[in-house]
Amino acid sequence: MELKEVLGIRRSIRFFDPERPVEREKVQKILEAMRIASCAVNAHWLRAVVVNRAEIPPEVMAEVTVPVAALVQELAQVHIYCYCDLGIVNRIKGERLRELVDVGALAPSHGWSHKFVDEIVYPQVLKPLTEAPHYPIAAAFDCGGAGTQGLLVAYDEGLGACWTAFEDAPMRKMLEIPDDWIPLYVMNLGYPLESKEAGGQRPRPDFETLYFEGRVGQPFRRDPAVVKDLERDKMFTPPATSPNPERMKEIRELARKLGLPE
Amino acid sequence: MALSGPIAEYESVAGWGRGLSDQWGGDPLAEEPDKLESLASFCEFIGKDPDALLAFCFLRKKDTGERFGSVKRRDQVLQQLRDFRDQCGPDAREARRRVNDVLSFLIHGGVLIHPGMI
Repeated sequence: MELKEVLGIRRSIRFFDPERPVEREKVQKILEAMRIASCAVNAHWLRAVVVNRAEIPPEVMAEVTVPVAALVQELAQVHIYCYCDLGIVNRIKGERLRELVDVGALAPSHGWSHKFVDEIVYPQVLKPLTEAPHYPIAAAFDCGGAGTQGLLVAYDEGLGACWTAFEDAPMRKMLEIPDDWIPLYVMNLGYPLESKEAGGQRPRPDFETLYFEGRVGQPFRRDPAVVKDLERDKMFTPPATSPNPERMKEIRELARKLGLPE
Repeated sequence: MALSGPIAEYESVAGWGRGLSDQWGGDPLAEEPDKLESLASFCEFIGKDPDALLAFCFLRKKDTGERFGSVKRRDQVLQQLRDFRDQCGPDAREARRRVNDVLSFLIHGGVLIHPGMI
């Protein structure tokens, strides 16, 4: 599928086929996509632990699920628990930046050299960054980008997914998570029982309320011709609407099929 | 007797009916009277009427009076639902349906609860 089309069909899927396994190679592709994501200072904060839901003991499952997401977690065949490894920067001490210098990704023309990394960037920028209150936020932003890249590959592979929160303590114990990893989200993964449209592209705030040009309050001018291009490229698909009797019928039938409340 | 009158006349049940109609159209409580029967059975089982059951799931903060869902009380209701399911008889499908009817009542009443927790 073309990238824009994948963006256009991505929806958070909450009804998974609880019986259909997810192929291991598809999970690997998701992880591979995460690994090659854009990454600040080449640090790679994201860590992911793949667990087949069926292998999580019921007593752990009962503790790990959060009320608003327990059903999604229950139905998904595979869970990818994502963490942010906050200790990585002080373990590698600029080593991966030096790699970028070596391969020519970072050039002297932009001020980069081994000496600059060793004497300035790590000790005077990165190390203090790891002590700053906003450090976990910056690192988590990076993880979000990598996670999203994996998420899009899941849809390209015909899977559905939904990020949810999870209770840290039971998974930390079961997965033997190091102390300096902070929990992010779990990617719940499986084959959708919902139709591809899943009720349509979700409602979003108006473009002009989110993105600005020059200064906050001055909306980035949205060109209708660009919107048309994106519709043609299938990045924009029919929006979710209300009322939508077909969607209501679909989710009611799914609830009945799976023995869920209405 | 937990119920002092017809179950459909309780305010919380009327709210459930409106929630179901808004969600699915029609009048699901009238079209599927089993739903009311399941709720009535559960109410008898726990000795509370539907309004009292729903009210039980919420508390108010002492300082502000703000209403909030009580996790402790929800967990008590969850346990009661498990007990109710276990005494529904040997037909697991029928037991699940009855529990789901009660869950539907609670969900449309704003209680954070769902079958993954049972």
